[in-house]
Amino acid sequence: MARNPIKDQVAIVGVGSTGFRRDAGGRSSASLACEASIAAIRDAGLGADDIDGITVAAEPGSPNPPRLASMLGIQRVSHFASAQPVAGFGLVDAMNAVFSGSCEAVLLCFAVMRSPWNSRSAARDPFRRTVGAGVRPVPELVQGAAGYASWASRYIHEYGARREDFGYVAINSRTGAVGNPLAAIRTPIDMQDYLDARMIREPLSMLDMDLPVDGADAFVLTTAERARELRPDPVLIHAASVGLVDRNDEDQLLDLSRHGQHVVIEQLKAKSDLWLSDVDVYLPYDGFTIITLNWIENAGWCEPGGAGRFLESHWDAAGNRVLIDGRVPMNPHGGSLSEGATRASGHIREAVVQLRGTAGERQVPDASVALVTAGGFFFNSQGAIFRRG
Amino acid sequence: MPPDVEITEAELVERFPYVRMDHDTKHLYRGWLARELRLNRCRDCGFWHHPPKPVCPRCWSSAVEPTPVSGRGSVHLLTWLHQGPPAPDVDYAAGPHPVASVELAEQAGLRFTTTVVDCPRERLEIGLAVELHWIERFGAPFPVFRPAEG
Ligand SMILES: [Zn+2]
Repeated sequence: MARNPIKDQVAIVGVGSTGFRRDAGGRSSASLACEASIAAIRDAGLGADDIDGITVAAEPGSPNPPRLASMLGIQRVSHFASAQPVAGFGLVDAMNAVFSGSCEAVLLCFAVMRSPWNSRSAARDPFRRTVGAGVRPVPELVQGAAGYASWASRYIHEYGARREDFGYVAINSRTGAVGNPLAAIRTPIDMQDYLDARMIREPLSMLDMDLPVDGADAFVLTTAERARELRPDPVLIHAASVGLVDRNDEDQLLDLSRHGQHVVIEQLKAKSDLWLSDVDVYLPYDGFTIITLNWIENAGWCEPGGAGRFLESHWDAAGNRVLIDGRVPMNPHGGSLSEGATRASGHIREAVVQLRGTAGERQVPDASVALVTAGGFFFNSQGAIFRRG
Repeated sequence: MPPDVEITEAELVERFPYVRMDHDTKHLYRGWLARELRLNRCRDCGFWHHPPKPVCPRCWSSAVEPTPVSGRGSVHLLTWLHQGPPAPDVDYAAGPHPVASVELAEQAGLRFTTTVVDCPRERLEIGLAVELHWIERFGAPFPVFRPAEG
């Protein structure tokens, strides 16, 4: 076992969400951040004076911690940080801040907004023109999206993967979104819809990637001890880690057998008392379908290159979704493919909601352990195991 | 090596308005103006790396030197953009635009990402042997690949 003194010592005790929409309609990212934050603090049974830590994801247009403190009247803050996007970075920062004693209760806020570079409608919004402004890209930049499309080609080349293998991920997500009012897109799809979808960055199509959205999720973290006083259903962070290797430029990654995801899984396995056979809900990142396939393999659900066959053999045809061993759903909230690009705050939210037992029609019976594996291959791999407190 | 075009750093930055350039990457683009693809190579241990870094990631030497590559390699990663950022020589309406990461002959894992020209779609696939070629983009040379001769 690796050292993990923080195991089960920090809890998520508050959660709030605006839901995610293709256009939140005349609202700033700050406004969405405030709404989610207030909801999360109230959900924890706390007020502004109880919050003394603020961690936000440094998303384009999102308010930074000082601005959030000023907007919400949080009077005394002894820890604040801007974490890299993709939610695990903020989660790890917040939990460490609580555990170390830097603060008692952290507001962890993730606000995303469509930017002119990823949304045509955002490009027409005069208030968004300067968001994410920078050097004009050329088509051949491998950074970001093209990196995943390129590695998807490589994955197909190396393993003979079929388009249907990717399709299972997309179909499963949409099925989940039907029962999730926070999701931006809630219409179910079938394999023919997937195969007919418009190509964007071939071999990836419209249905292989999440869409830019407006919205915010927020959480409150505190010590497990305090959490038990506040709520009957705290969710404990059992283990969490981020992962990185040296060759992390998109086109310089040596191969698919060694990148950040592998570091994350090694860490989680070494730190956790719980592993795949204990998991009741699996929440792999699905910003691109190729990422999900790789997570399934790298987490050890199946062998490298086998994710498509794995999904096929664990497919619940009646439910039009994945049900691993007839028991464990994957992204029952619809993932980022349906909620939109929450950058995994939605995956963490779903873990909390499922472990509280408040997921409504998509509730997994008696869910007590959730595994989140978030981020991609290059510079934002991360994972966490949550348990019911 | 042909003599470099004599221009200032300010002029260099102006020649590549679509590039976020700094003191570690400027040599790469000076090379483009001379139609040479110069990647960083360590003078002490011989290791190549890209994109340009201020030190050799293998031995930590600062003696990294922009060094012309042969331009030979093979397609390692490939995507076809059906839509994407505009460029004067790219017409998405005419067909998807290929973006390839080429593994260079100099060293395993040393890759350079750009497009491939003069190649029919059905021939362009992972593993194709290619060679360096130059086109004009925004009034400056731009490195691309094309199928290798023979
Ligand atoms: Zn060296």
